[in-house]
Amino acid sequence: MKAPPVSITVKDLTLRFPVYGVDAKSLKKHLARVAIGGRLSNSHHGSAEVTAISGLSMTLKAGDRLGLIGHNGSGKTTLLRALSGAYEPDEGQIEVKGRIAPLLDLSLGIDPSATGLENIRLRGRIAGLTTREIDAKMDEIGRFTGLGPFLAMPLKTYSAGMAARLAFAVATAVDADVLLMDEWIAVGDADFQKIAHQRLLSLVERAGILVLASHDMDLIRLYCNKVMRMEGGVASPVTSIKDLDQLLAQA
Amino acid sequence: MHTAQHMLRTGRRGSLHEFAMAYADLRASVPKLGLAWSLASHDVISRYRGSILGPFWITLSMAFMVLGIGFLYSELQHISLQETMPFVALGIVFWGMISLVIIEGCETFVHASGMLSQTSLPMFTFVWRTLLRNLVTLLHHLIIIVAVLIWFGYWRTMNLPLAIAGLVLTLLNVSWISLAVAISSARFRDIPQIVTSVMQFSMFMTPVFWKPDFHSPMMTLVLIYNPFFHMLDSIRGPLLGAQPALQTYVVLIAMAVIGWAVTFSLFALTRRRIVHYL
Repeated sequence: MKAPPVSITVKDLTLRFPVYGVDAKSLKKHLARVAIGGRLSNSHHGSAEVTAISGLSMTLKAGDRLGLIGHNGSGKTTLLRALSGAYEPDEGQIEVKGRIAPLLDLSLGIDPSATGLENIRLRGRIAGLTTREIDAKMDEIGRFTGLGPFLAMPLKTYSAGMAARLAFAVATAVDADVLLMDEWIAVGDADFQKIAHQRLLSLVERAGILVLASHDMDLIRLYCNKVMRMEGGVASPVTSIKDLDQLLAQA
Repeated sequence: MHTAQHMLRTGRRGSLHEFAMAYADLRASVPKLGLAWSLASHDVISRYRGSILGPFWITLSMAFMVLGIGFLYSELQHISLQETMPFVALGIVFWGMISLVIIEGCETFVHASGMLSQTSLPMFTFVWRTLLRNLVTLLHHLIIIVAVLIWFGYWRTMNLPLAIAGLVLTLLNVSWISLAVAISSARFRDIPQIVTSVMQFSMFMTPVFWKPDFHSPMMTLVLIYNPFFHMLDSIRGPLLGAQPALQTYVVLIAMAVIGWAVTFSLFALTRRRIVHYL
């Protein structure tokens, strides 16, 4: 079976964020404002627009492992969310070919009162797997978590580490072409971290494209072959990992 | 996480494009109905986890309410139990479905914020989730309806196809109301409270317990301009062997068409922003 071409094309992406203050969320205050007329209130609308990303363009193809660096609030996570399809561009265009797996939040779709097995099913369904596909993977996921009989118990009885194991195992059980990660996911005890690392690596290898946002330069050096620096929503051009030092020096 | 092989997101290109994208969202939600079903049934299961009767607890409490109110009203209004009990039973069960789809609609997007902010799942998936969840609950309450219809012998005279048509028309209407409150609750956090109050008020203005009476002109106005009366009557009437007025169908169809047109436009215009509201 020939694999379909995997690519990410972003053209002139601009993303603005309306920030709704508490005031802006109250209908009464909204109505009161209408009643007193818009002139006075224009400047105090309670919602401000923040430009999270402006004029970003990039092209990634199969085999690209892009490291996103930048300070807090520079737009890395926003870019990842836009690439996942959750945030709509205000201007420009995003085109992603291939199955996307955002590993932005491990706790997505996890229900503490449900059992481990139920959580695997639910999370798998959210990830786009069919019930049959989940059944086929169930053993493998269960084995990987190493939780054995605990899988039949509610998640809330787990320790934080056990819950993290489960979430990690399900989240990484997908077959994806485009992997989006906000910080390298490192969970569990030393033993688990070792096998988790192996699993993540093989996932990255199978995926056509990895986009990893991280503050850990060693990590970026280790996994990425390209790097892009973001600052205040403006992105540098995508450059080779060899220029990372140069890019950091500009900061 | 998504199985879609191709995702294209573009900036604003005029209202027509916004409508096309909203329609694309609706269409993409059809293959996701299975997911909506999984989420909905998980909701029901987790809500009643650890209880022996599960969702039947609500059925049980409804059954007691039906018995209590049925007997009480039959005494107060000097109408036979034969007439009151089925009327009240159907009223309470279907009113419960109508009002809960609307009240829980407030949480449709708010509760899905995690999924909405990091996946490309169609937003309509969550509207169906709310709807399906309440249909699952309704299925449990069908016990009451079947019991009442058999006990009082209405199963011989009922017009089941017409009642199902009424149910479909009702669902078409509550679903747009549910979507409308979902969008507005995401934007304004006051809306859930308002919706709850309005639904409570409507319960007393709608003949859920009391018999509609068209003799007084005031009452007629209250009934004719009450959309919930038409919804309820289109389901309950045929089950009790009565033919709903033609006007009821006209109102329901017109309301579904206009309501969906307006709500869909609202969705098309706010779709990009909803995830930022949350």
